[in-house]
Amino acid sequence: MLAKMAWRNLWRHKRRSLLTLLSIAFGGFLAILFTALQDRSFADFIDTAARLGSGHVTIQHPEYLETPTLNRTVQLTGQIRNLPERDRLVLHVTERITGQAIVATANDSFGVVFIAYDPARETEGTLTFGEGLIEGEMFKTANDRGIILGTKLAQNLGAGLGNKVVYTMTDRNGEIVSGMARLTGVIETGAPSLDQGLCLVPISALREVLNYGPNEATQIGIFLSDSRRSSLVASNLNRELGPDSTALTWDEVQPDLSAFIAMKVGGARFMEILIAILVAAGIFNTLFVSVMERVREFGIMVAIGYSAGQLFRLVMWESLWLALTGLAACGALTIWPYYYLSQHGIDFSQLVGGQDMEIAGVGFSPVVRVGIFPEHLIVIVLAIVAATLAAGLYPAWKAGKVEPVESISLV
Amino acid sequence: MNAPNGPVVELKEITKIYSQGEIDVHALNGLDLTIRRGEFVALCGPSGSGKTTALNLIGALDKPTSGEVWLEGERLSTLSRQQLSHLRRDRIGFVFQAFNLIPVLTAYENAESVLALQGCPATERRDRVMSLLTEVGLKGMEDRRPHELSGGQQQRVAIVRAIASEPAVVLADEPTANVDSETADKLIEIMAQLNQDRGITFIFSTHDTRVMERARRLIRLVDGRISSDSSTAAT
Repeated sequence: MLAKMAWRNLWRHKRRSLLTLLSIAFGGFLAILFTALQDRSFADFIDTAARLGSGHVTIQHPEYLETPTLNRTVQLTGQIRNLPERDRLVLHVTERITGQAIVATANDSFGVVFIAYDPARETEGTLTFGEGLIEGEMFKTANDRGIILGTKLAQNLGAGLGNKVVYTMTDRNGEIVSGMARLTGVIETGAPSLDQGLCLVPISALREVLNYGPNEATQIGIFLSDSRRSSLVASNLNRELGPDSTALTWDEVQPDLSAFIAMKVGGARFMEILIAILVAAGIFNTLFVSVMERVREFGIMVAIGYSAGQLFRLVMWESLWLALTGLAACGALTIWPYYYLSQHGIDFSQLVGGQDMEIAGVGFSPVVRVGIFPEHLIVIVLAIVAATLAAGLYPAWKAGKVEPVESISLV
Repeated sequence: MNAPNGPVVELKEITKIYSQGEIDVHALNGLDLTIRRGEFVALCGPSGSGKTTALNLIGALDKPTSGEVWLEGERLSTLSRQQLSHLRRDRIGFVFQAFNLIPVLTAYENAESVLALQGCPATERRDRVMSLLTEVGLKGMEDRRPHELSGGQQQRVAIVRAIASEPAVVLADEPTANVDSETADKLIEIMAQLNQDRGITFIFSTHDTRVMERARRLIRLVDGRISSDSSTAAT
């Protein structure tokens, strides 16, 4: 009975209720889209960082994080290689050697970051430099004998396809070692720091130069279906690994990126709380006015036997109906823009001069799409319901406190 | 305690003082009153004589400044807020001057609301309420909302709501004040009939001479005291 009365009470002042529902729907719409924009872009961002670095979880020497030198290596064992078969969260396992080198041509020399990888073990989900290939070709096997440079770096070195490029680095013994390769490809990532400071080499060629064993690498990248599970996978791996290697999550390996995301998430949470407060204030106003208008009615209800608790529950039911109807309206308002933005996104390329954007050394696409994590959607839905119910508490309490003698005399 | 003609309502040395700023208004001054089961009583008197205050005290809507109110042998001052709420629901029926009904409920839903609060089964509610609505001439109007009913029809629904749960007493505060004279006659007739047929105790607060004429006991209040208390034969 109370639920039915509450539902009907909601529609006594249609315009007022509709405006309140609109504010709930719009608040929810903003919260969902903000969160979805953030979830998707940060997930993409983390995936990009994982591809550029060494996976969502990285196995490396325990001291490599602090001192990333080429004498701190790990072995890709068969047990780790088979991880995708053992753990459904793991999609790919790759091995990489990364470090710093000097690349030189007959014209010039520059300091670079190099990534040596096995093309046979990499996919589009683990390494995306192939998308930015503008000249030549990517490596086909780990035994290829070429080198790929960032476009700006190639320009600075005055290197064209087929030109000789010498790379020099310090090996595990502290000796200077060099390799020579012909330029087989040029890539453009859109991120300036990568385009002017990245070179790629096939892993077998580098192993020869560095005198590494066939399964030796500086980092083993574990790529997951969901970056949020990296802590779980890392802690499971750490139980298996010996003292010479450790599994770290992407945010441990890339603390700058992690800090940036944490800061952004904090800002978004603040915005969401602000939206929730504004929506709750609107709901409070509606319910409070509605209760104050019905004081006499509540007095009559008390007189015929309704208890204070029943009047309290009646107004709380009205709050709940507002929340549920508001959520339904929110769903109707959000579904199409969400679908469009998840498929097509918003193109910010004009704002960033037509280039890819770069944050914390990671480049990513200027087309930003939405995609909300289910648990965040649940939090938003619960927050809307909780804010609406919280906004109803005081009006409901007022309704329960109505004094029948005073209120019935109000005609 | 609940003898056929035993007391339903007893007011003993009731005073009620309202403070209006620095002035104390004595609404009731040592009122003693006993109403027996099955009576059809009208409280009359000039405005401010204490009629509505007396009804509010009997109906457990207000508390006296001093004195005791008893309903079916129960002293109201000893009851908690929750117990008073149950007492109003189970033993008292109210009919107010106007705007009696809950606007979002239909005539039927309004009429059955007290029974629903009591937890009476739906089938029994339906039987009782439909029978009473028929008795007061509202058959076919049970699905109408209050705004679709005339003032007199709304009052009839309020009467059905008040008596449906078979309370010990029905308190009617100026029930005919906001209806035309023809409707007022009908309402009085309905209540008198219910009193006669079902033995329901009615206590009115009224200025309406038609109600006074139909009342079998007429109590005149002046300045919060009984100035006259007379019984007449039923008409």
